[in-house]
Amino acid sequence: MREILDKLSTCILEGKAEDTPGLVQQALDEGIAPKTILDDGMVVGMNEVGDRFRRGDMFVPEVLMSAEAMSEGLEILRPELVSSGAKLIGKIVLGTVQGDLHDIGKNLVGMMCEGAGFEVINLGFNQKPEAFVAAIKEHQPDIVGMSALLTTTMRSMGHTIKAIEEAGLRDQVKVIVGGAPVDQDFADRIGADGYGSNAVAGSELAKRLVAEA
Amino acid sequence: MTANELPTVVIACRVFQHLLEAYLPHEIAERITFMDYGLHRVPTNLTLSVQEQIDAVEQPSLIVLGYGLCGNGLNGIKSRQHTLLVPRADDCIAILLGSREEYLREFESEPGTYYLTKGWLESGSDPLKEFNEYKEKYGPQDAEWLMDQQYQHYKRLVLVAHNQEDLERYRPQALKVAEFCRRWDMRYEEKLGSDRFIARLVEVAGDLDRADHDFLIVPPGGEIRQADFIGG
Repeated sequence: MREILDKLSTCILEGKAEDTPGLVQQALDEGIAPKTILDDGMVVGMNEVGDRFRRGDMFVPEVLMSAEAMSEGLEILRPELVSSGAKLIGKIVLGTVQGDLHDIGKNLVGMMCEGAGFEVINLGFNQKPEAFVAAIKEHQPDIVGMSALLTTTMRSMGHTIKAIEEAGLRDQVKVIVGGAPVDQDFADRIGADGYGSNAVAGSELAKRLVAEA
Repeated sequence: MTANELPTVVIACRVFQHLLEAYLPHEIAERITFMDYGLHRVPTNLTLSVQEQIDAVEQPSLIVLGYGLCGNGLNGIKSRQHTLLVPRADDCIAILLGSREEYLREFESEPGTYYLTKGWLESGSDPLKEFNEYKEKYGPQDAEWLMDQQYQHYKRLVLVAHNQEDLERYRPQALKVAEFCRRWDMRYEEKLGSDRFIARLVEVAGDLDRADHDFLIVPPGGEIRQADFIGG
Protein backbone atom coordinates (compact mmCIF):
# COMPACT_ATOMS: atom_id res chain seq x y z
CA MET A 1 0.00 0.00 0.00
CA ARG A 2 2.86 2.33 0.86
CA GLU A 3 4.46 1.89 -2.53
CA ILE A 4 1.55 3.11 -4.62
CA LEU A 5 1.02 6.12 -2.36
CA ASP A 6 4.70 7.02 -2.68
CA LYS A 7 4.41 6.71 -6.44
CA LEU A 8 1.39 8.98 -6.42
CA SER A 9 3.13 11.57 -4.27
CA THR A 10 6.17 11.56 -6.59
CA CYS A 11 3.90 11.80 -9.61
CA ILE A 12 2.33 15.00 -8.22
CA LEU A 13 5.74 16.39 -7.28
CA GLU A 14 7.07 15.74 -10.78
CA GLY A 15 3.91 17.13 -12.37
CA LYS A 16 3.08 14.10 -14.51
CA ALA A 17 -0.56 14.91 -15.11
CA GLU A 18 -1.02 12.06 -17.60
CA ASP A 19 0.07 9.45 -15.04
CA THR A 20 -1.93 10.56 -12.00
CA PRO A 21 -5.39 9.23 -12.93
CA GLY A 22 -3.95 5.75 -13.56
CA LEU A 23 -2.12 5.72 -10.25
CA VAL A 24 -5.20 6.93 -8.36
CA GLN A 25 -7.23 4.16 -10.01
CA GLN A 26 -4.57 1.60 -9.13
CA ALA A 27 -4.64 2.71 -5.49
CA LEU A 28 -8.43 2.44 -5.46
CA ASP A 29 -8.20 -1.02 -7.01
CA GLU A 30 -5.81 -2.03 -4.24
CA GLY A 31 -8.60 -1.19 -1.82
CA ILE A 32 -7.02 1.88 -0.28
CA ALA A 33 -9.56 4.31 1.19
CA PRO A 34 -10.06 7.44 -0.97
CA LYS A 35 -9.25 9.71 1.98
CA THR A 36 -5.97 7.86 2.55
CA ILE A 37 -5.07 8.16 -1.14
CA LEU A 38 -5.63 11.88 -0.90
CA ASP A 39 -3.97 12.58 2.45
CA ASP A 40 -1.07 10.12 2.37
CA GLY A 41 -0.39 10.28 -1.35
CA MET A 42 -1.45 13.35 -3.27
CA VAL A 43 -1.34 15.90 -0.45
CA VAL A 44 2.14 14.71 0.58
CA GLY A 45 3.38 15.44 -2.95
CA MET A 46 1.66 18.81 -3.12
CA ASN A 47 3.03 19.83 0.25
CA GLU A 48 6.54 19.15 -0.98
CA VAL A 49 5.79 21.27 -4.07
CA GLY A 50 4.78 24.16 -1.81
CA ASP A 51 7.90 23.86 0.31
CA ARG A 52 10.24 23.66 -2.67
CA PHE A 53 8.56 26.63 -4.34
CA ARG A 54 9.05 28.78 -1.23
CA ARG A 55 12.68 27.76 -1.03
CA GLY A 56 13.25 28.59 -4.69
CA ASP A 57 13.97 24.97 -5.61
CA MET A 58 10.92 24.84 -7.85
CA PHE A 59 9.49 27.44 -10.20
CA VAL A 60 6.10 28.50 -11.52
CA PRO A 61 6.02 26.13 -14.54
CA GLU A 62 6.74 23.10 -12.37
CA VAL A 63 4.15 24.20 -9.82
CA LEU A 64 1.59 24.58 -12.62
CA MET A 65 2.32 21.08 -13.84
CA SER A 66 2.00 19.68 -10.33
CA ALA A 67 -1.29 21.52 -9.90
CA GLU A 68 -2.51 19.99 -13.14
CA ALA A 69 -1.45 16.53 -11.96
CA MET A 70 -3.34 17.12 -8.71
CA SER A 71 -6.41 18.26 -10.61
CA GLU A 72 -6.39 15.22 -12.93
CA GLY A 73 -6.05 12.90 -9.95
CA LEU A 74 -8.90 14.59 -8.11
CA GLU A 75 -11.19 14.06 -11.09
CA ILE A 76 -10.96 10.31 -10.45
CA LEU A 77 -10.90 10.57 -6.69
CA ARG A 78 -13.69 13.11 -6.12
CA PRO A 79 -16.66 10.79 -6.83
CA GLU A 80 -15.04 8.13 -4.65
CA LEU A 81 -14.54 10.59 -1.80
CA VAL A 82 -18.21 11.56 -2.01
CA SER A 83 -19.53 8.00 -2.20
CA SER A 84 -17.25 6.89 0.64
CA GLY A 85 -19.32 9.21 2.79
CA ALA A 86 -16.84 12.04 3.27
CA LYS A 87 -18.99 14.85 4.63
CA LEU A 88 -18.70 18.51 3.77
CA ILE A 89 -16.75 20.05 6.61
CA GLY A 90 -17.46 23.69 5.81
CA LYS A 91 -17.77 26.41 3.25
CA ILE A 92 -14.97 28.70 2.06
CA VAL A 93 -15.08 31.79 -0.14
CA LEU A 94 -11.81 32.38 -2.01
CA GLY A 95 -10.58 35.30 -4.06
CA THR A 96 -7.52 37.19 -5.25
CA VAL A 97 -7.77 40.74 -3.93
CA GLN A 98 -8.34 43.97 -5.81
CA GLY A 99 -5.62 45.03 -8.24
CA ASP A 100 -4.16 41.56 -8.46
CA LEU A 101 -4.90 39.13 -11.25
CA HIS A 102 -2.71 36.23 -10.22
CA ASP A 103 -4.78 33.21 -9.45
CA ILE A 104 -2.56 30.15 -9.79
CA GLY A 105 -1.92 29.82 -6.05
CA LYS A 106 -5.46 30.75 -5.08
CA ASN A 107 -6.92 28.12 -7.41
CA LEU A 108 -4.56 25.56 -5.95
CA VAL A 109 -5.79 26.42 -2.45
CA GLY A 110 -9.32 25.93 -3.79
CA MET A 111 -8.41 22.50 -5.09
CA MET A 112 -6.81 21.46 -1.81
CA CYS A 113 -9.78 22.76 0.19
CA GLU A 114 -12.18 20.89 -2.03
CA GLY A 115 -10.14 17.74 -1.50
CA ALA A 116 -10.22 18.39 2.24
CA GLY A 117 -14.02 18.43 2.18
CA PHE A 118 -14.93 22.09 1.81
CA GLU A 119 -17.53 23.57 -0.44
CA VAL A 120 -15.44 26.13 -2.33
CA ILE A 121 -16.83 29.36 -3.75
CA ASN A 122 -14.12 30.79 -5.97
CA LEU A 123 -14.74 34.47 -6.69
CA GLY A 124 -11.84 34.80 -9.13
CA PHE A 125 -9.22 37.54 -9.25
CA ASN A 126 -9.13 41.35 -8.87
CA GLN A 127 -11.98 41.22 -6.35
CA LYS A 128 -12.94 44.42 -4.57
CA PRO A 129 -13.55 44.46 -0.81
CA GLU A 130 -17.27 44.90 -1.57
CA ALA A 131 -17.24 41.69 -3.60
CA PHE A 132 -15.97 39.74 -0.59
CA VAL A 133 -18.60 41.39 1.61
CA ALA A 134 -21.36 40.54 -0.87
CA ALA A 135 -20.13 36.94 -1.10
CA ILE A 136 -20.21 36.56 2.69
CA LYS A 137 -23.80 37.80 2.75
CA GLU A 138 -24.82 35.53 -0.10
CA HIS A 139 -22.98 32.33 0.76
CA GLN A 140 -22.60 32.53 4.56
CA PRO A 141 -19.20 30.81 4.50
CA ASP A 142 -17.23 29.65 7.53
CA ILE A 143 -14.03 31.00 6.07
CA VAL A 144 -12.91 33.73 3.69
CA GLY A 145 -9.54 33.19 2.01
CA MET A 146 -7.67 36.03 0.32
CA SER A 147 -4.67 35.82 -1.95
CA ALA A 148 -2.18 38.33 -3.42
CA LEU A 149 1.05 37.90 -5.32
CA LEU A 150 2.36 41.44 -5.09
CA THR A 151 3.37 43.71 -2.22
CA THR A 152 1.49 46.49 -4.02
CA THR A 153 -1.77 44.58 -3.84
CA MET A 154 -1.47 42.85 -0.47
CA ARG A 155 -2.56 46.14 1.15
CA SER A 156 -5.97 45.38 -0.28
CA MET A 157 -6.24 42.45 2.15
CA GLY A 158 -6.28 44.90 5.05
CA HIS A 159 -8.86 47.05 3.26
CA THR A 160 -11.04 44.00 2.70
CA ILE A 161 -10.92 42.99 6.37
CA LYS A 162 -11.95 46.55 7.28
CA ALA A 163 -14.85 46.38 4.84
CA ILE A 164 -15.96 43.07 6.37
CA GLU A 165 -15.80 44.67 9.82
CA GLU A 166 -17.74 47.71 8.69
CA ALA A 167 -20.43 45.49 7.23
CA GLY A 168 -20.77 43.92 10.68
CA LEU A 169 -19.80 40.49 9.37
CA ARG A 170 -16.37 40.01 10.91
CA ASP A 171 -17.62 37.84 13.79
CA GLN A 172 -19.31 35.32 11.56
CA VAL A 173 -16.29 34.39 9.41
CA LYS A 174 -12.67 33.43 9.88
CA VAL A 175 -10.36 35.27 7.50
CA ILE A 176 -7.22 33.60 6.19
CA VAL A 177 -4.56 35.01 3.89
CA GLY A 178 -1.75 33.74 1.69
CA GLY A 179 0.42 34.47 -1.32
CA ALA A 180 4.09 35.04 -2.04
CA PRO A 181 4.64 38.33 -0.13
CA VAL A 182 2.38 37.46 2.80
CA ASP A 183 3.73 36.22 6.12
CA GLN A 184 2.45 35.63 9.65
CA ASP A 185 3.56 39.07 10.77
CA PHE A 186 1.50 40.74 8.04
CA ALA A 187 -1.49 38.51 8.77
CA ASP A 188 -1.30 39.57 12.43
CA ARG A 189 -0.98 43.24 11.54
CA ILE A 190 -4.12 43.30 9.42
CA GLY A 191 -6.07 41.20 11.92
CA ALA A 192 -6.47 38.02 9.90
CA ASP A 193 -7.24 34.77 11.71
CA GLY A 194 -4.48 32.85 10.00
CA TYR A 195 -1.85 32.58 7.32
CA GLY A 196 -0.98 29.65 5.09
CA SER A 197 2.53 29.46 3.62
CA ASN A 198 1.42 27.21 0.76
CA ALA A 199 -1.73 25.62 -0.65
CA VAL A 200 -1.61 22.59 1.64
CA ALA A 201 -0.88 24.72 4.69
CA GLY A 202 -3.84 26.91 3.68
CA SER A 203 -6.27 24.01 3.52
CA GLU A 204 -4.89 22.56 6.79
CA LEU A 205 -5.45 25.93 8.43
CA ALA A 206 -9.00 26.08 7.09
CA LYS A 207 -9.66 22.60 8.48
CA ARG A 208 -8.29 23.57 11.88
CA LEU A 209 -10.39 26.73 12.01
CA VAL A 210 -13.67 24.96 11.29
CA ALA A 211 -12.79 22.23 13.80
CA GLU A 212 -12.21 24.87 16.50
CA ALA A 213 -15.43 26.73 15.72
CA MET B 1 30.55 60.53 13.90
CA THR B 2 27.02 61.31 12.70
CA ALA B 3 25.43 59.27 9.95
CA ASN B 4 26.03 62.16 7.56
CA GLU B 5 29.79 61.90 8.02
CA LEU B 6 30.00 58.19 7.29
CA PRO B 7 31.60 56.94 4.09
CA THR B 8 28.95 56.15 1.48
CA VAL B 9 28.61 52.70 -0.06
CA VAL B 10 26.02 51.92 -2.73
CA ILE B 11 24.61 48.45 -3.37
CA ALA B 12 22.04 48.46 -6.15
CA CYS B 13 20.19 46.38 -8.67
CA ARG B 14 21.70 46.73 -12.12
CA VAL B 15 18.36 48.10 -13.34
CA PHE B 16 19.38 51.48 -11.84
CA GLN B 17 22.91 51.55 -13.23
CA HIS B 18 22.58 54.38 -15.72
CA LEU B 19 20.49 56.51 -13.37
CA LEU B 20 22.77 56.14 -10.37
CA GLU B 21 25.88 56.73 -12.43
CA ALA B 22 24.33 59.90 -13.79
CA TYR B 23 23.38 61.29 -10.39
CA LEU B 24 26.01 60.13 -7.91
CA PRO B 25 29.28 62.01 -7.50
CA HIS B 26 31.96 60.36 -9.59
CA GLU B 27 33.99 59.04 -6.66
CA ILE B 28 30.95 57.18 -5.29
CA ALA B 29 29.56 56.14 -8.67
CA GLU B 30 32.71 54.26 -9.62
CA ARG B 31 32.47 52.11 -6.49
CA ILE B 32 28.82 51.03 -6.74
CA THR B 33 28.24 47.31 -6.31
CA PHE B 34 25.67 46.35 -8.93
CA MET B 35 23.75 43.16 -8.37
CA ASP B 36 22.22 40.82 -10.93
CA TYR B 37 18.78 41.53 -12.32
CA GLY B 38 16.14 39.06 -11.43
CA LEU B 39 17.36 38.13 -7.94
CA HIS B 40 13.85 39.09 -6.78
CA ARG B 41 12.38 36.08 -8.53
CA VAL B 42 13.43 34.10 -5.50
CA PRO B 43 13.21 36.80 -2.83
CA THR B 44 15.30 34.79 -0.35
CA ASN B 45 18.19 34.87 -2.82
CA LEU B 46 17.90 38.64 -2.98
CA THR B 47 17.95 38.88 0.82
CA LEU B 48 20.99 36.64 1.12
CA SER B 49 22.94 38.32 -1.69
CA VAL B 50 22.36 41.85 -0.43
CA GLN B 51 23.10 40.84 3.17
CA GLU B 52 26.35 39.27 2.03
CA GLN B 53 27.40 42.53 0.39
CA ILE B 54 26.48 44.52 3.50
CA ASP B 55 28.42 42.13 5.72
CA ALA B 56 31.47 42.49 3.50
CA VAL B 57 31.70 46.21 4.29
CA GLU B 58 33.97 46.50 7.33
CA GLN B 59 34.06 50.17 8.16
CA PRO B 60 30.79 51.56 9.58
CA SER B 61 29.19 53.22 6.56
CA LEU B 62 26.07 54.77 5.14
CA ILE B 63 24.90 52.01 2.83
CA VAL B 64 22.48 53.13 0.16
CA LEU B 65 20.39 50.27 -1.18
CA GLY B 66 19.19 50.73 -4.74
CA TYR B 67 16.22 48.46 -4.22
CA GLY B 68 12.56 48.54 -3.32
CA LEU B 69 10.91 45.98 -1.09
CA CYS B 70 11.06 43.72 -4.19
CA GLY B 71 8.64 40.94 -3.30
CA ASN B 72 9.93 41.03 0.31
CA GLY B 73 13.49 40.53 -0.89
CA LEU B 74 14.64 43.27 1.50
CA ASN B 75 12.56 42.00 4.43
CA GLY B 76 14.84 40.90 7.26
CA ILE B 77 18.05 42.53 6.04
CA LYS B 78 20.17 43.61 9.00
CA SER B 79 22.13 46.84 9.10
CA ARG B 80 24.88 45.44 11.40
CA GLN B 81 27.30 48.31 12.18
CA HIS B 82 26.01 50.40 9.28
CA THR B 83 23.24 52.88 8.59
CA LEU B 84 20.98 51.85 5.72
CA LEU B 85 19.14 54.19 3.39
CA VAL B 86 16.40 52.62 1.28
CA PRO B 87 13.78 54.11 -1.05
CA ARG B 88 10.38 53.23 0.37
CA ALA B 89 9.04 51.70 -2.84
CA ASP B 90 7.48 48.36 -3.65
CA ASP B 91 9.83 47.65 -6.53
CA CYS B 92 11.91 49.13 -9.31
CA ILE B 93 8.89 50.13 -11.37
CA ALA B 94 7.76 52.57 -8.69
CA ILE B 95 11.27 54.03 -8.61
CA LEU B 96 11.51 54.22 -12.39
CA LEU B 97 8.10 55.88 -12.65
CA GLY B 98 9.25 58.47 -10.12
CA SER B 99 6.96 57.84 -7.17
CA ARG B 100 4.89 55.29 -5.30
CA GLU B 101 1.76 57.32 -5.93
CA GLU B 102 2.30 57.22 -9.67
CA TYR B 103 2.81 53.45 -9.52
CA LEU B 104 -0.33 52.88 -7.47
CA ARG B 105 -2.29 55.08 -9.88
CA GLU B 106 -1.10 52.88 -12.74
CA PHE B 107 -2.19 49.83 -10.75
CA GLU B 108 -5.63 51.25 -10.29
CA SER B 109 -6.05 52.16 -13.92
CA GLU B 110 -4.91 48.74 -15.18
CA PRO B 111 -3.92 46.02 -12.73
CA GLY B 112 -2.92 43.59 -15.48
CA THR B 113 0.20 45.38 -16.62
CA TYR B 114 3.54 43.85 -17.54
CA TYR B 115 6.34 46.42 -17.47
CA LEU B 116 9.34 46.38 -19.75
CA THR B 117 12.38 48.48 -18.92
CA LYS B 118 15.77 48.98 -20.47
CA GLY B 119 17.52 46.85 -17.88
CA TRP B 120 14.87 44.17 -17.94
CA LEU B 121 14.93 43.97 -21.75
CA GLU B 122 18.70 43.74 -21.80
CA SER B 123 19.29 41.09 -19.21
CA GLY B 124 16.07 40.19 -17.52
CA SER B 125 13.12 38.35 -18.93
CA ASP B 126 9.91 39.03 -20.82
CA PRO B 127 7.00 36.83 -21.90
CA LEU B 128 8.56 36.12 -25.29
CA LYS B 129 11.92 35.11 -23.81
CA GLU B 130 10.10 33.02 -21.24
CA PHE B 131 8.08 31.27 -23.95
CA ASN B 132 11.24 30.37 -25.84
CA GLU B 133 12.83 29.01 -22.68
CA TYR B 134 9.74 26.94 -21.91
CA LYS B 135 9.62 25.61 -25.48
CA GLU B 136 13.13 24.32 -25.17
CA LYS B 137 12.54 22.82 -21.76
CA TYR B 138 9.00 21.46 -21.99
CA GLY B 139 8.15 21.32 -25.71
CA PRO B 140 5.89 23.69 -27.69
CA GLN B 141 2.55 22.35 -26.47
CA ASP B 142 3.28 22.54 -22.76
CA ALA B 143 5.00 25.89 -23.30
CA GLU B 144 1.81 27.36 -24.77
CA TRP B 145 -0.25 26.03 -21.91
CA LEU B 146 2.18 27.31 -19.27
CA MET B 147 2.26 30.78 -20.82
CA ASP B 148 -1.54 30.95 -20.95
CA GLN B 149 -1.76 29.96 -17.30
CA GLN B 150 0.60 32.75 -16.31
CA TYR B 151 -0.43 35.62 -18.54
CA GLN B 152 -3.98 35.13 -19.77
CA HIS B 153 -5.38 37.79 -17.44
CA TYR B 154 -2.87 40.48 -18.37
CA LYS B 155 -4.22 43.39 -20.40
CA ARG B 156 -1.33 45.74 -21.07
CA LEU B 157 2.37 45.81 -21.89
CA VAL B 158 4.15 49.04 -21.00
CA LEU B 159 7.64 50.08 -22.03
CA VAL B 160 9.04 52.52 -19.45
CA ALA B 161 12.06 54.62 -20.40
CA HIS B 162 13.60 57.82 -19.16
CA ASN B 163 13.91 59.72 -22.36
CA GLN B 164 12.70 59.70 -25.93
CA GLU B 165 16.01 58.29 -27.10
CA ASP B 166 15.72 55.21 -24.90
CA LEU B 167 12.10 54.73 -25.91
CA GLU B 168 13.16 54.67 -29.52
CA ARG B 169 16.13 52.42 -28.90
CA TYR B 170 14.11 49.77 -27.06
CA ARG B 171 10.90 50.09 -29.05
CA PRO B 172 11.76 47.45 -31.70
CA GLN B 173 12.49 44.85 -29.01
CA ALA B 174 9.42 45.84 -27.01
CA LEU B 175 7.24 45.61 -30.10
CA LYS B 176 8.35 42.03 -30.69
CA VAL B 177 7.19 41.18 -27.18
CA ALA B 178 3.99 43.14 -27.81
CA GLU B 179 3.35 41.15 -30.96
CA PHE B 180 3.68 37.92 -28.98
CA CYS B 181 1.44 39.20 -26.18
CA ARG B 182 -1.37 39.97 -28.60
CA ARG B 183 -2.47 36.35 -28.13
CA TRP B 184 -3.91 37.53 -24.80
CA ASP B 185 -5.26 40.77 -26.31
CA MET B 186 -2.68 42.78 -24.42
CA ARG B 187 -2.31 46.32 -25.69
CA TYR B 188 1.02 48.08 -26.00
CA GLU B 189 1.83 51.44 -24.43
CA GLU B 190 4.90 53.55 -23.81
CA LYS B 191 5.57 55.69 -20.80
CA LEU B 192 8.28 58.18 -19.99
CA GLY B 193 9.62 57.51 -16.52
CA SER B 194 10.99 60.04 -14.11
CA ASP B 195 14.34 60.35 -12.37
CA ARG B 196 12.76 62.13 -9.42
CA PHE B 197 13.04 59.20 -7.02
CA ILE B 198 16.69 58.45 -7.81
CA ALA B 199 17.63 62.13 -7.74
CA ARG B 200 16.02 62.43 -4.29
CA LEU B 201 17.77 59.26 -3.12
CA VAL B 202 21.13 60.76 -4.05
CA GLU B 203 20.20 64.04 -2.39
CA VAL B 204 19.15 62.28 0.84
CA ALA B 205 22.31 60.14 0.80
CA GLY B 206 24.25 63.42 0.93
CA ASP B 207 22.19 64.74 3.82
CA LEU B 208 20.01 62.33 5.78
CA ASP B 209 18.13 65.22 7.38
CA ARG B 210 16.45 65.70 4.03
CA ALA B 211 14.76 62.31 4.17
CA ASP B 212 10.98 62.30 4.13
CA HIS B 213 8.41 59.50 4.16
CA ASP B 214 9.69 58.25 0.79
CA PHE B 215 12.86 56.99 2.45
CA LEU B 216 13.62 54.48 5.13
CA ILE B 217 16.67 54.94 7.35
CA VAL B 218 17.74 51.94 9.40
CA PRO B 219 20.21 52.70 12.21
CA PRO B 220 23.07 50.38 13.21
CA GLY B 221 21.79 47.18 14.81
CA GLY B 222 18.47 47.52 13.01
CA GLU B 223 16.59 45.49 10.46
CA ILE B 224 14.48 46.20 7.39
CA ARG B 225 10.90 45.03 7.91
CA GLN B 226 8.07 44.63 5.45
CA ALA B 227 5.97 46.71 7.85
CA ASP B 228 8.26 49.69 7.12
CA PHE B 229 6.92 49.62 3.56
CA ILE B 230 3.40 48.36 4.04
CA GLY B 231 1.22 49.45 6.90
CA GLY B 232 -1.38 47.12 8.34
